[in-house]
Amino acid sequence: MSATDPSRTLLTRRGLLRSAAVLGGAATLGGALSACSSSSGSGGGTTLTHWDFYDSQEPWVKNELALFGKAHPEIHVRRTKNAQAGYDNLFNLAERSGRTPDTFFLTKQTVPINQQVQKGWLLPLDKYATAEWVRTFPAYSFVEGLNVFDGKIYSAPFVGSGPPNQLFVNNKVFRDAGLTNADGSVQVPRTWDDMSRAADAIVRRSGGRTYGLGFGNGSTNLFAWWFDVLIRGAGSPGGSTGLDLRVGKYTYGTDRNYADLTNLIMEWKKKDYFYPNSLSVSDEIARAYFERGKFGMTVGGVWNEAEWTAHGFTDYSVTTLVGPDETHKAYFYRTPGSALMGINARTKHPDAAWQWFSWWHSKAAAVRWVQKYREDLSAHPEANASDAIRFKPFAEYVALQDLSLPGPQPWIRNPAASGVVVAPVQPDLGAFVAGVYSGQIKDISGALTSLGERSQSALDAGIKDGQKRGLKISAADWVFADWDPTKPYKWDIPEYPK
Amino acid sequence: MTENLVRASTGGPPPVAGPPRRTVGRRPGRPRPGIGARLRAGRWSYLYLMPFVLLVGAFTLYPIGASLVYTLFQWNGVGSPDHYVGLANFRQVVHDGVFWRSFGHTFLYAAVVVPVQLALALVLAVVLNNKRLRFSTFYRSVFFLPAVMSPAIIAVIFQLLLSNFGDSINTRLIRAHVIDHQVDWLGDPHSVMWVVIGIGIWNTLGYNLVYFLAGLQSIPEELYEAASLDGAGAWSKFWHVTLPGLREVGLMILFLAVLGSLQVFDLVQVLTGGGPYYASSVVNTYIYQQAFGGGLSAGGAGITVQPNVGFASAAAFFYGLILMVITVAQALLLRRVRASRNAARGVREGD
Repeated sequence: MSATDPSRTLLTRRGLLRSAAVLGGAATLGGALSACSSSSGSGGGTTLTHWDFYDSQEPWVKNELALFGKAHPEIHVRRTKNAQAGYDNLFNLAERSGRTPDTFFLTKQTVPINQQVQKGWLLPLDKYATAEWVRTFPAYSFVEGLNVFDGKIYSAPFVGSGPPNQLFVNNKVFRDAGLTNADGSVQVPRTWDDMSRAADAIVRRSGGRTYGLGFGNGSTNLFAWWFDVLIRGAGSPGGSTGLDLRVGKYTYGTDRNYADLTNLIMEWKKKDYFYPNSLSVSDEIARAYFERGKFGMTVGGVWNEAEWTAHGFTDYSVTTLVGPDETHKAYFYRTPGSALMGINARTKHPDAAWQWFSWWHSKAAAVRWVQKYREDLSAHPEANASDAIRFKPFAEYVALQDLSLPGPQPWIRNPAASGVVVAPVQPDLGAFVAGVYSGQIKDISGALTSLGERSQSALDAGIKDGQKRGLKISAADWVFADWDPTKPYKWDIPEYPK
Repeated sequence: MTENLVRASTGGPPPVAGPPRRTVGRRPGRPRPGIGARLRAGRWSYLYLMPFVLLVGAFTLYPIGASLVYTLFQWNGVGSPDHYVGLANFRQVVHDGVFWRSFGHTFLYAAVVVPVQLALALVLAVVLNNKRLRFSTFYRSVFFLPAVMSPAIIAVIFQLLLSNFGDSINTRLIRAHVIDHQVDWLGDPHSVMWVVIGIGIWNTLGYNLVYFLAGLQSIPEELYEAASLDGAGAWSKFWHVTLPGLREVGLMILFLAVLGSLQVFDLVQVLTGGGPYYASSVVNTYIYQQAFGGGLSAGGAGITVQPNVGFASAAAFFYGLILMVITVAQALLLRRVRASRNAARGVREGD
C-alpha cells in the first residue's frame, strides 16, 4: 500500500470498520438468538434448564434424567453441571443478567436461602407441595426459616444426615500388620490407643515402608475432619467448630480435649506414624496412596467411596467417633430439614419444573440414590436401610447414621438468629493444627486460647451487628443449658408445616 | 535506549534535535486551532486508541475505582455492598500478623530472586553472546523455555515431583546420603520458601537473559577491539566496557524484576497455597484467599461465614500503595543515576 495514496488508506479504514461492524452485529445477533433459545420448547415439548454441581454423583443424575425423560417425554431437561467451587458466583452473575435456569441447586454461603426468598429468586411451591406430598418426607423435614418462609415451602431436603467424616481402614495393610481378630476380620480402631497401637504395628511390621496414618492437606485444610472424627467422642460437642452450645462459648482453650488431641497428633508425627508428605500432597493423591496401601488409616467422607469403587478398591472398613475410650460422650448433630434445589420464580414452565423437582425428591429416586448408586444417605429414611446394601463399606457408612443425633440450633428457637453474619476467623482450627504439625506453633495451649477468644469475638461482633440492624437476638440464643449432648435434642417446632 | 547506550559508550555529544514534530494544522503566525479542530484532525488516531482505552477502562481503571469503594464495606462479593465499616478493613490489615508475615515472605522472595537471577542472567548472557560459542541459539531457547511456560503449570509439575513423588525421591537421596531423613519439601516451613524462590529464579530467568543479550548486542564491537588494543583482558573488558554499556538497560531490568517479584502469585498459589500455616504465603495469595476462599467452617453451629471482598480490597490497596512508593523510589533513583552520569559526562566534556 502506498503511504501517499490517502483514498486507498481511507478505503481500507472504512473497510476495516465495516467488517468490524458486521462481525459485531453477527456476534450480537448470535448471542441474542442463543439467549432466546435457552428456555424455548423443542419439538412441541418443554425444555427445562437445570443447574447442579453433582460430579461424583453424576451417574445417578444421568440415570434420573433418562428415567424422567421416559416418564415425561414432553419435558426435556437440559442439565448443566457446574464446578461447586465457583457455583455461588456463577449463579449470582446469572441472576443479575436474568439468565438463571428453571431449576437449580441453591447457593450456600454467599446468598443464603432466606435472602434468596427475600430477593424473589425462588418460586413458592405451595401450589404443588400438597400436605400429602409433604408427608412423604419424615417429620421435621420442612422448617420455618430453613426451607419454609412465611408458611410457604421453597425447597425440600434431599441428602440424609449422617456423620460427615469417617476413619477409613485399609484392610490389607491391617492384615499385613497382623491387626486381625480371631475370625480373620481386621481390628477396626475404636479408641485413640487402638489407633496408636495399629499405627505402631504397621510401621514396625513393614520396616517403615508403610505408614500407619496419612492425609492430604495440600489443597484442602482437612485437619478439621480429623478433629470431628476424633474429638466429639471425647465429649466435645462443638467438634471442629469449637462452639459448645451448652454454654454458647468457643471452648478451644478451655476444653482440654482440644489440647490432648493436638498433642496426640504430634506424638503420632514424632513417631513417624504419618506418611511424611501428608502436609503437601492433595486429598486426592492421599486417597490414591491409601488405596495403594502406603498407609493404613485416613480420614475422609463418603465421597471417597465412589472413587475407590471406580478403581476396584473395596477392601477397606469404615468407622467414626473414635475417642479416648469407647463411650461416646458427644456425637455428630443434625439440623431439622435441609434445602438443596429450588425453582426459578421467573420460570416460564413452573408445572414442568415441579415435575422434575418432585421426581428428583421422590422416594423412588432416593432408593436408587442410596441402594443402587451408593452416593450418600437420603432424606427418605426408607431408602437408608443398611441391610439392603450388599457393598460392605457403604453398608458400614449407612449404619453409622445413628451417630448423628438431632442437635440444638439457635435459629430454630429464634429464627432471627439466622440473620447473624460472622466474619471469618483466621487462622482457623485447621490452620492452627497445620502450624503445630509443621513446628511453627510451639505454645499449643496459648494458641488454642487465642483461637477460642478470636472465634468468640467474631460471634459477639456478629450478634452486636445483628442487634444494630434491628434483629431481636442476644448471646443467650446460643445457649442451650439443658442440652445433654448424648441424647437426641427435642426440637420445639411442628413436625410438619400447617 | 540503544542510542543512549551507544552515545554513552562512545562519549559523543547527545543529538541536538530530533526530526521536526508535526503540529496539527499549525503554521507560523497563525492562531493555535481549537480543541475540536484538533480532535477532528486526529480522529483516526483516537478511533484506533478507543479499543485500548475501553479495555483499560473496563478491566483496569473501573476495578481499581470500584475496589476503593469496597474497602469501606464488609462485603462477600455478591449483590451490592451495604454493610459500611468505614476504615475498619484498613485497620484490620495493618494489625493483621498474617498480612505482615506474607509481606515479609514477598520481600524475601524479591530480595533473593532479583539479585541471584540477574547475576545468573548476566553471566549466561555474556557466555551466550560469545560468537565462538556453537549452538548458542539452542542454548538460548533452552534457557528461555521455562519463561514461556505458565507458572501454574510449572507449579503443578514441581508439586508432582516434590510432593506426590517426594518420598520416592527422598528415599533415593537418603540412600545417596544427601539427606538422612524424609523431608516434605513443600510441607516443611524451613524449606518451602526456598523451594519457591528456587523455582521462581529458574522460571523467569529467561526474560532477563534475553534483555541482557539485547543490551550486550547494542554495545559497539569497536569498544572491545579498542580495549583489546589497549591490552585489556577478558575481566577488564567485562568490568570497563560491558558493565558500563549495560548500566542503563540493567537499571530498567532491575526495575522490572523487582516489580515482577513483588507481584508473585500464581506460582505460590498453585504450588503451596501459601502453606503450611502461611510459611510460604505472599501478599497476593493472602489477598486472593481473603477474597475468594477459606474461612472458619461453621457446620452445625448455626453461623454463616462469608468471604470478605472488602477486607481483601483494603489489603490490595494497602499493598498497592506500598508498591507505588517503591516504584516511585526506584524511578527517582533511576533519574538520579542518569543525572549523575550526565553530569559526569558534562565534566569530562568540559575538561
